[in-house]
Amino acid sequence: MSSMMASTFLRSIQNHPLMLYPAALFIRKKVVLYCTMKSTESQTATQEKQNPRIKVPPRTQTITTTNNVSKDYEAVIGIETHVQLNTLTKAFCSCPYNYGSPPNTSVCPICMGLPGALPVLNSKVIEYAVKVGLALNCKLSLNSKFDRKQYFYPDLPKGYQISQFDVPIATGGYLDLDLPMEFGGGHWKFGITRVHMEEDAGKLLHSESGSYSQVDLNRAGVPLLEIVSEPDMRTGIEAAEYAAELQRLVRYLGVSNGNMQEGSLRCDVNVSIRPIGQSQFGTKVEIKNLNSFSSVSRAIDFEISRQVQLHSQEKGDQIIQETRLWEEGAQKTVTMRKKEGLADYRYFPEPDLPGVILTKEYVDAIRDSLPEAPEMKRRRYEKMGLSMQDVLFLANDINVAQFFDATIAKGADVKLATNWIMGDIAAYMKNEKLTINEIKLVPRELAELIASIKGGTISGKIGKEILFELLAKGGTVKGLIKEKDLVQIVDPVEIEKMVEKVLAENPQQLEQYRGGKTKLQGYFAGQVMKVSKGKANPGLLNKILLEKLNAKS
Amino acid sequence: MRMGMGSCRALLMGRAVAATASASIQKTQVFNFSRKISSNSFGLCFSKSVLITCRNNNGVRSCSTASIRSSLEPPDVPRLAETARISLTQNEVEEFAPKIRQVIDWFGQLQDVDLHSVEPAIRADTEGSNLRDDVPETFENREAMIAAVPSFEEQYIKVPKVLNKE
Ligand SMILES: [Zn+2]
Repeated sequence: MSSMMASTFLRSIQNHPLMLYPAALFIRKKVVLYCTMKSTESQTATQEKQNPRIKVPPRTQTITTTNNVSKDYEAVIGIETHVQLNTLTKAFCSCPYNYGSPPNTSVCPICMGLPGALPVLNSKVIEYAVKVGLALNCKLSLNSKFDRKQYFYPDLPKGYQISQFDVPIATGGYLDLDLPMEFGGGHWKFGITRVHMEEDAGKLLHSESGSYSQVDLNRAGVPLLEIVSEPDMRTGIEAAEYAAELQRLVRYLGVSNGNMQEGSLRCDVNVSIRPIGQSQFGTKVEIKNLNSFSSVSRAIDFEISRQVQLHSQEKGDQIIQETRLWEEGAQKTVTMRKKEGLADYRYFPEPDLPGVILTKEYVDAIRDSLPEAPEMKRRRYEKMGLSMQDVLFLANDINVAQFFDATIAKGADVKLATNWIMGDIAAYMKNEKLTINEIKLVPRELAELIASIKGGTISGKIGKEILFELLAKGGTVKGLIKEKDLVQIVDPVEIEKMVEKVLAENPQQLEQYRGGKTKLQGYFAGQVMKVSKGKANPGLLNKILLEKLNAKS
Repeated sequence: MRMGMGSCRALLMGRAVAATASASIQKTQVFNFSRKISSNSFGLCFSKSVLITCRNNNGVRSCSTASIRSSLEPPDVPRLAETARISLTQNEVEEFAPKIRQVIDWFGQLQDVDLHSVEPAIRADTEGSNLRDDVPETFENREAMIAAVPSFEEQYIKVPKVLNKE
C-alpha cells in the first residue's frame, strides 16, 4: 500500500484483515432498517451510443478532502437517483398517495395488479418528467414509450414494473453545482446520462420473528423519475453534493419533496477505482441503502478505501461486480448480492399503454414556465455582489431564496437583507425549529424594517427588538413603532434637553470628565440613551453630548 | 377505470409467492430496439394448474423479428420456474415441458410469417393521448379486494419471508 495513505482510518484497517473484522472498527450508533430492494439496470440498459457530452472540467485544485484514495488510484463514481414525484395520484391509477397513510388503504385493482385492470397515465407525470429533463439540460425524446421490466418480488404485485428502457424521456444533460467552501469550493458540471419515468414498488417489511414478511401496497404505482448520472464524480463529497443539488432542483421545480428520510429521494451509487492514468473503468460496485447525504459521502469513501486496500494487497480480483448495502450502524458496506451476469428483466414494450408523444408546443410551454433553477439563482445572486457563502446560504433552500427575493423586490438593500436573513432570522428559525414559511415575519415587513433603520426612523437596536416581535407575533413595522412609541428622536432640541438633564444629574462625573477622564463620555451617552428609552438617534446624541461636555460652563 | 383482457397477473402473491409466472420466450425474445421491428411479447403465464394465455390486444400483433428462426429452442422449464419463483417437482417439470414446448412451437410458426412489409404494432391502437388528470379517486370496493388476499393480517399482506431478490 502506498505510503501516501494518510488517513488514520486506513492505517487502522491496514493492521487488520479488512474482510474479517471490519465491523469492530466502524461501530457507531443507530441501526437503519430501510431497504430499497429495487435493482435497476438502467446504466447497462442504455443501448444508445451517445458521447457523454459534458465532462468534468479539468480539476484546477488538488483534492484534499478524500484522503482515502492513495495517490496511485482514482475513484469513478456514478449515481442513480430515484425521485418520487409529488403528484396527488399514482402514476397509472387515481389512488391518492400520502406518505404515512395506514397500510394498504390507498389501493385499487390497477396498483394491486389484479387481472384485467389497465393502467392510464397521469398527465402530471409527463409534465414533471419534462420539467426535470429540461432543468437538467437534457435532450427530450418527443416519442418515447413505457416498457415492462419483469421481476418477481412481493412488493411488485403485477410481476413487472412499468418503466422506460431503451427510449427514456430525456438523455444527455448536465447538472451545475457550486461546491461549498469547506469542501474546497469551485463550480462543477456533472453529466446526466438519462432521466426516465417509472412506478414505485410497494413497501416490504420484515417481521421481527423473521418467519414472514409484510407488504404495504400504498406506495405501489407511485410515480418515480430515475435520474442516472455520468460517472463523473471522484469523491464521496462530490457525490453527496450532486445528490444535494438534485434535491434542491426538484424542490425548486416543485415536482418532489425530495425528502431522503421518507424515501422520496433515493440514491444508489456505483463506485469503481482504477490506477491513475488508466482510461478503462475498474469493476463497478453498487451501494444501496443510503438515506442521507452524509451516508452517501461516507459509504463512498469507505468503499473506495476498501477497494484500494484490496488492490494494494494484490487482491484486486476480489473486487467483484455486486450490490453492497451501507450499514449505518457499522459504518461499512456489506455484500447484499453478487451479480451473475446481467439480471434477466426480459424488457418489452408495455402493451397496455400508448406511446408517450410530446409536441414541440407542449415542451416549449413548459420550458417557458420553468421557475428559476438553483444554478440560475446562484449566478444572479453572485451578480448582485454577494459573497459565495451568502449565495450558497440563500439559494440552498427555495423558501429562503423566495423570502429573500420578495424582500429585495420590496426595495430592501441586498446586503442588509442578506445579513438579517443569515443572522438573526436564521438564528431564530434554528432556535425555534421553524422553517422560513412558519415564522410570522413577512418579506414586506423585513423590507420595511430595513428601510426604517436606513432612513433613520428607528435605531438599529430598536430594529432588532422589532424584528423579534415580528418573528414571533407578526404585525407591521409601522404598527409596532406607533404602538410602542419607538420612533427615533431626531429633534436636536429634544436630545439637547435630555443631555442637559443627564449632565445636571451627574455633577461629579461631569467634573471628572472635565478634569481629563474623557472615557466617561460613554457613560453619559448611555445615560442619555436610557432617558430617551433607546430612541435617541445615536449620531445626533453623541454630537450634542460632546458639544455640551466640552462647553465651558 | 379501463378494463381489458390480456392481463395475466398474479392475484397478489398468493400462496408461496409463486402462483404465477410471466415467462417470455427466450432467445428470440431478445429485443433489438435499434431496429424498427419490434419483436413480440407473449406473457406466458402458468400456475400450478397450468394456465396459458397470450396477450392480445384487439387482435393486432406483429410477430416479426429481423432474424427469423423457424425453430425455437426448447424451454428450460427449471430455469423458467426459478425466474418465476415457483418450485416444481421433477414430475411437474416433465409434465409441463411438452405443454410449454407446444406453445413455443406455435409461436415459432408465427415467427416464420413474413411481415417485412407490415408496420409493427406493439400495442392496441390507441389514437391520441390517453392521459388522465391528476385527480384523486378512492376505489370503492377495497374491502372486496382485501378480502381476496390469501393472507392478510394487521393491515398488511402477509407473504413468505423474502430477504433477497436474487
Ligand atoms: Zn390504485
